[in-house]
Amino acid sequence: MVIKLSNDRVIPWQPTVIAGPKQALLVTPETAELMIRKSKRPLLVLGPLVKEEPLLSLAVGIAEKWDLPVVTTGDAYKAFREKDLDSVAYGAIEIVNLLKDPEWVGVNGEGQHDLVIFLGCIYYLASQGLSALKHYAPHLKTLTICKFFHSNADASFPNMKDEEWLKYLAKMAGQ
Amino acid sequence: MAPKPKDMKDDFWKSKDIKISIGEIEEKDTKKMGEEVPMGPTPKPHVTDLRSWDMKLLDRYEPFYAPFCDMCCLCTFGKCDLTEKKGACGIDSAAQQARIVLLACNIGTAAHAGHARHLVDHLINDFGADYPIDLGMNIDIEAPLIRTLMGKKPEKLGDLREVISYVEEQMSHLLSACHTGQEGSSLDFESKALHSGMMDDLAREVGDIAQIVALNMPKGDENAPLVELGVGTIDAKKPVVLCIGHNVLPGAGIMDYLDETGQEEDLEVCGICCAAIDVTRYNDRAKVVGPLSKQLKFIRSGIADVIVVDEQCIRTDVLEEALNKNCAVIATTDKMCLGLPDMTREDTDKIVSKLVNKEIPGALILDSEKVGEVSVKVAKILAPEREKLKFLPELDEIQKMASDCTECGWCNRVCPNSKPMMEAVVAASKGDFSKFQELYEYDVCYSCGRCEQECERDLPLMDFVTKVGEHFVKDEKFSIRAGRGPVQDVEIRRVGAPLVLGDIPGVIAFVGCSNYPDGGKEVAEMAKEFLERNYIVVATGCGAMSIGEYKDEEGKTLYEQYSGDFDARGLVNMGSCVSNAHISGACIKIANIFAKKPLEGNFEEIADYILNRVGACGVAWGAYSQKAAAIATGVNRWGIPVVIGPHGSKYRRLYLGRADKKDNWKIKDLRTGKIMDGEPAPEHLIYAAETVEESMPMIAKLCIRPNDTAKGRQIKLNHYIDLYKRYFGVLPPDINLFVRNDKDIPITHKKEVKDLLEEVGWEPREIPQEPSLMGLDGD
Ligand code: SF4
Ligand code: SF4
Ligand code: SF4
Repeated sequence: MVIKLSNDRVIPWQPTVIAGPKQALLVTPETAELMIRKSKRPLLVLGPLVKEEPLLSLAVGIAEKWDLPVVTTGDAYKAFREKDLDSVAYGAIEIVNLLKDPEWVGVNGEGQHDLVIFLGCIYYLASQGLSALKHYAPHLKTLTICKFFHSNADASFPNMKDEEWLKYLAKMAGQ
Repeated sequence: MAPKPKDMKDDFWKSKDIKISIGEIEEKDTKKMGEEVPMGPTPKPHVTDLRSWDMKLLDRYEPFYAPFCDMCCLCTFGKCDLTEKKGACGIDSAAQQARIVLLACNIGTAAHAGHARHLVDHLINDFGADYPIDLGMNIDIEAPLIRTLMGKKPEKLGDLREVISYVEEQMSHLLSACHTGQEGSSLDFESKALHSGMMDDLAREVGDIAQIVALNMPKGDENAPLVELGVGTIDAKKPVVLCIGHNVLPGAGIMDYLDETGQEEDLEVCGICCAAIDVTRYNDRAKVVGPLSKQLKFIRSGIADVIVVDEQCIRTDVLEEALNKNCAVIATTDKMCLGLPDMTREDTDKIVSKLVNKEIPGALILDSEKVGEVSVKVAKILAPEREKLKFLPELDEIQKMASDCTECGWCNRVCPNSKPMMEAVVAASKGDFSKFQELYEYDVCYSCGRCEQECERDLPLMDFVTKVGEHFVKDEKFSIRAGRGPVQDVEIRRVGAPLVLGDIPGVIAFVGCSNYPDGGKEVAEMAKEFLERNYIVVATGCGAMSIGEYKDEEGKTLYEQYSGDFDARGLVNMGSCVSNAHISGACIKIANIFAKKPLEGNFEEIADYILNRVGACGVAWGAYSQKAAAIATGVNRWGIPVVIGPHGSKYRRLYLGRADKKDNWKIKDLRTGKIMDGEPAPEHLIYAAETVEESMPMIAKLCIRPNDTAKGRQIKLNHYIDLYKRYFGVLPPDINLFVRNDKDIPITHKKEVKDLLEEVGWEPREIPQEPSLMGLDGD
């Protein structure tokens, strides 16, 4: 049985994805916003777990509020297009592969991104992608705003119930 | 340019110090073969002999690493944290990932090689080393892998021994490279992993050919019989023997004993995983319970009176689980002895008596004939005693127990597949079992049992899933065509041209295990989609079973609707995991039969041909094992791309192409000798998709090859565009990369494609006649 520490919020959502001593920093919406503000070329990656309401609108709200270029993974592209959100469709693995190349020009051709915000990718796949970036993309930071603590990210929201999470997202969308 | 034949001054077999003796390949054959076919440059390639080919692949398809663990704990210097640091031995994180991948491939290859070695030795013992390898009238190229890699056609069972010895020799070098302080380059580790995968492919061909010829399994028969599949096909009132694993011999021993004693109708013999597929290839009266995902559920159901385990992918707690159900266990191979007493030399009736009287918890019997007799006798005694239908709690008991749930949520968190177990328990506590039913159907919950071990109230969650399934999910009666083995030469002749020219849009192979992100239905739906689109669909192992577990509106399985022909709209179950060798085998045969490429010792030319001209793509949607890692890596070396499901990202390494780097796709036109711009076809060698919707257009795209004719390219692009539009709502944004000139544009999408081409400033380009990676840098 996993040792359930008093603070379940910062044990990785799937406890066995824990990979080593380096763990993500726990962040609130305020700190997350600060990271976005400080970054020069942020990127928002939206996965198939947020292609339904109310998450769809919240994700669109976040992209619009911070004027973030968006990559959609899996089959999320269509749902966001129907909400009039422009995005570039890549497989989660493909975008991570591009992000780890310091020479890549970024989704809008302005240069490699320096902050990548993930929301809505399948947990264990995202964990692997974040691990790839942790090891091989020292040129950028990763932030996850799912309702799951992602230990392989640089910064992550904690594990949360839906209600609290929706509030976190609404805050980030300025709603 | 074709590789120059190696200087064969001396007899090749002699030069490699191979002892010529009875049962091994005879000198006269070699000479005969030597006269008939020129030997290519790389017969019996050693670890480094195909390195230059590997580096070409790895240059184009760079390894993508996603560490599963930041640390290494292989030696006592460790643990070492490799996050942006090197280990105490100097290894960096990329090389460490590659090393673990090589290790995984070696484990997988060893599993198949051990399996094949056991089959070959056993069958030689029974049938003699001179037993001929004859796959019937329609198959002359019996062993395309052995021919290409050994440079020699195997004539007799005894010849297979030498092939397996070669694999074993290579394996020890490959495993050795994993030791601390050996290889230090990630790319060289990858080259070794590719070699290991290729050895795996070879070992599988040996294993399957041995069992097909000696046990008289279907020999490429497109009309192999339909066999019963599904829990509902098993008559639990009869004594039931369940075989789990991959080795056909114990199951064959059981079927033989039943036949010999005239008890065919008195017992049910069924199987889980590839043992099921292979026993039904041996005797179509056996039944298939289903893929690996059924294992714990079926054991918990208590239906089986005796469980016979052989090797690979068996739950290692099978004994404990079986004892809880008062069911006898017989272990049958050196790979899995389970701590049981070795009763191989014991008198049969004595073993039976010890088992039924519980004097021993189970028996290790390393003699398949004896396994047959003991298992049948024990099942017949135990069945009436066991009251097998009372092993699971009733629904009202489940409801009562479920109300103990504290809603801690840990069952969901530890579920590798993030399935809503807690929600199912909470609903059940209110008498609503629908959520459990959803978990049960199509093995959305694949019964790994992790949730149950975590539950703080010790709720028997697997019992709950099983009982609800048993109660609500009726009609679990399906069918699967018995594994037919290799593709016939005549079929290759028929489809060679349309496939290479692109008129048949591709061969899609659904292979591998059942670690599906959302149940087996997705695999069946994928197969159906590509069948309807005129692709050739082949299947093996758990993938083949998942395809059979699906019925259309009329209540028919796909095997009942589609023929078993290796042709457009054919659904070909090739067989078990070892039968995967016939998939690369079919591609090799296309190069040989259709394009007249010599096979013997000619790996690189053949692989280059497949990579550039044969539109084949593997799909291992639920790959989980080290064997699957070896299989995928093996077919990759032959130039066949593979799509895996999201769990596949945990293999730590993919091979990804970069469509945005034009220079990566340069090719040489062997006809003109010109180096020219190519296209990202196939774009990746092994790719993990997040959802089935993402995977479908990717699979269609990965069937595109540089030498498609304009008509073929139109057909392929039409499917790619169609699937992409269905799931993404727009034209694929990379379509310009695959349009070489106006003639490639599919008529149905002409206007929008032209608009897109104009928008991105597309220019037509020259089409190579014989696209190749050979003759580029490094040759
Ligand atoms: S093998 Fe190397 S990296 Fe691994 S524990 Fe030993 S010293 Fe550390
Ligand atoms: S048994 Fe099923 S629900 Fe439980 S952890 Fe495994 S897959 Fe998930
Ligand atoms: S682990 Fe057990 S107690 Fe906790 S939510 Fe799941 S079923 Fe309930």
